[in-house]
Amino acid sequence: MQELNLKVLNKPGLHARPAKELVKFNKGIESDVVIKFNGKSANIKSMMAVMGLGAKQDAEVTVTIEGPDEADVAKAVTEMFANGFGFPDEL
Amino acid sequence: MSEKIQGNIAIPGIAIGKIMKVGQSLDGYMAAYTPGSAEEELSKLEEAIDTISAAIDESVEAMRAAGQDEQAEIMEAHSFLLMDPMLTDGMNDKTREMGHAPKAVLEAAQECAEMLAGMDDEYMRERSADVKDIGRRIARHLLGVKEPEIGEEPVVLCGFEVEPSAIANIPDDKIAGVIMGQGSTTCHAVIIAKSRAITTVVGLENRVEDIPEGAKVLLDGNEGLVLVNPSEDELAAYEAKIKAQQEEQKRLDALKDLPAETTDGVKVQLAANIGLPEDAEAAAKYGNQGVGLFRSEFLFMGRENIPDEDLQFEAYKRAIVACNGETCVIRTMDIGGDKPLAYLNIPHEDNPFLGYRAIRISLERPDLFMPQLKGILRAGVYGKAAIMAPMVISVDEIKGIRAAMEKAMAELEAEGKEYSKDVELGIMVETPAAAVMTPVLAKYVDFFSIGTNDLVQYTLAVDRVNPQISKLYDHFNPAVLQLIYRTIKSGVENGKWVGMCGEMASDPYAAVILMAMGITELSMSAPSIPKVKEKIRSLSMDEAKAHLEKVMAMETGAEIREYLHSKI
Repeated sequence: MQELNLKVLNKPGLHARPAKELVKFNKGIESDVVIKFNGKSANIKSMMAVMGLGAKQDAEVTVTIEGPDEADVAKAVTEMFANGFGFPDEL
Repeated sequence: MSEKIQGNIAIPGIAIGKIMKVGQSLDGYMAAYTPGSAEEELSKLEEAIDTISAAIDESVEAMRAAGQDEQAEIMEAHSFLLMDPMLTDGMNDKTREMGHAPKAVLEAAQECAEMLAGMDDEYMRERSADVKDIGRRIARHLLGVKEPEIGEEPVVLCGFEVEPSAIANIPDDKIAGVIMGQGSTTCHAVIIAKSRAITTVVGLENRVEDIPEGAKVLLDGNEGLVLVNPSEDELAAYEAKIKAQQEEQKRLDALKDLPAETTDGVKVQLAANIGLPEDAEAAAKYGNQGVGLFRSEFLFMGRENIPDEDLQFEAYKRAIVACNGETCVIRTMDIGGDKPLAYLNIPHEDNPFLGYRAIRISLERPDLFMPQLKGILRAGVYGKAAIMAPMVISVDEIKGIRAAMEKAMAELEAEGKEYSKDVELGIMVETPAAAVMTPVLAKYVDFFSIGTNDLVQYTLAVDRVNPQISKLYDHFNPAVLQLIYRTIKSGVENGKWVGMCGEMASDPYAAVILMAMGITELSMSAPSIPKVKEKIRSLSMDEAKAHLEKVMAMETGAEIREYLHSKI
């Protein structure tokens, strides 16, 4: 299992756009990815769950990854958070 | 075999289409449903979800194939969200718990919808209604309810009540008519259908249940008649009528640019009632002169927070500009406990229609009132705007509004924002209190606009949506005419203009006597303008005054109506 502490950089927080990217990303991997914030946890297979975390800009979240490809997934997820999930206009 | 059902006239015209039933309760289906074992329910649920999911995917493909890329994107995002594991897991868990798939689905959807409605993200809040819809769709599939389809043939919506949004969602060429069991001709669904000139028949009561889904019907909106499965002969007879209807339409179109004046040159301003800024643009084809009622409620509905000043400013500006120099009368928020809004926080009322609503709320909630007033004052720079307050009963309220307007102007001044100092302030005269007090109220306002829909209700103590007594609701009732005449006289004597924005304004026969009373503006759903104009152009003011004198001496609304329909 991998555990990452990552920061949300996007101005609107973990809203619809990043959530959708995470769901898409999840379809191509084997591991389970769960984001924890503020006492709530969300598996990235659910767009609503991710958005329900209410993680705004600068929120610090914990991401746990478990599965055969967890090392690669951890790298990819770290990158996603760092580049605003592919939305530079939100940084 | 054809069947004739008699209802009440709501919107005239002749229409042929296929019945699409709306607003059916699932209660009957739920009661008849026998759940199997938990395993069976789960497997039924899986099949239902797969089927509906596939149907949505098919729609997306069809839209892409038809080049409707934008709609396809939306539907796809839709499907993405709707197949969200949170929703499907919720449905599965509840099905396991309850052993009843349809009930579980509706509950799970409701929970998700509530969660979405509470989110900060506006997009997600809007998806809340979509989630409820998908829940109902899956439940209907599980319960074996037949899904109506809009095919090539235009539909006739049919139900006891029809949601205004059901009408709004169907484009003009796919909707032929509307049939309702309830009897009101002034409910919002009818008002919307009227603005799109969609033939409507109401008052069928329980007979709506007798009309089968998918049946071909002929709607004779001129007679309030519904013909289910019309025969060839009946269709042929109506074809002649349809032709006559089309000629009539051509005649009315020709009236568009002619002035609304009597044969001896007395003019009246025929304006449009609108619910959205774009309606002001659409009204032009009927020859309106400005807007006599801009219902601002759309700005306040379906939101979790108060619409801000800028949003409101843009909406008002659009309508004002479309009025091209003619007055655009904007009515301030007219909502109460009957339409719960998250940010109004109105505690339960047994009678919301006589309760905390409209101006009563605005005067106590500057957080609501200020953005609206400031939005209107700023938009007033772009044309001619007027503010109209609903449900007023006293001088105190008017003074409160004036004070609020002063404060709004002071704030705008301090903020360095451009605004108009010439925005008129008037009131809707729709309560008996206001009508009786117009001689006094006239001193404090720039105009009156008579809101007959509610004035008739309150004066005659009749609920306009109650089919049992809708016959009693009559704008020609002498009591109502007396209050209207009093209001008009008060305005005229004090040099203030008087208009009307209730449904009575669209009655050509009423228009004649209202003009004789001294009204100078009539505001109505735009498609009604040509008919009213035609009637006004057909007689002189002297004749109109003579008719008024006769009518004011009569004792019953029936007498008055009969007289006017036979003499004018």
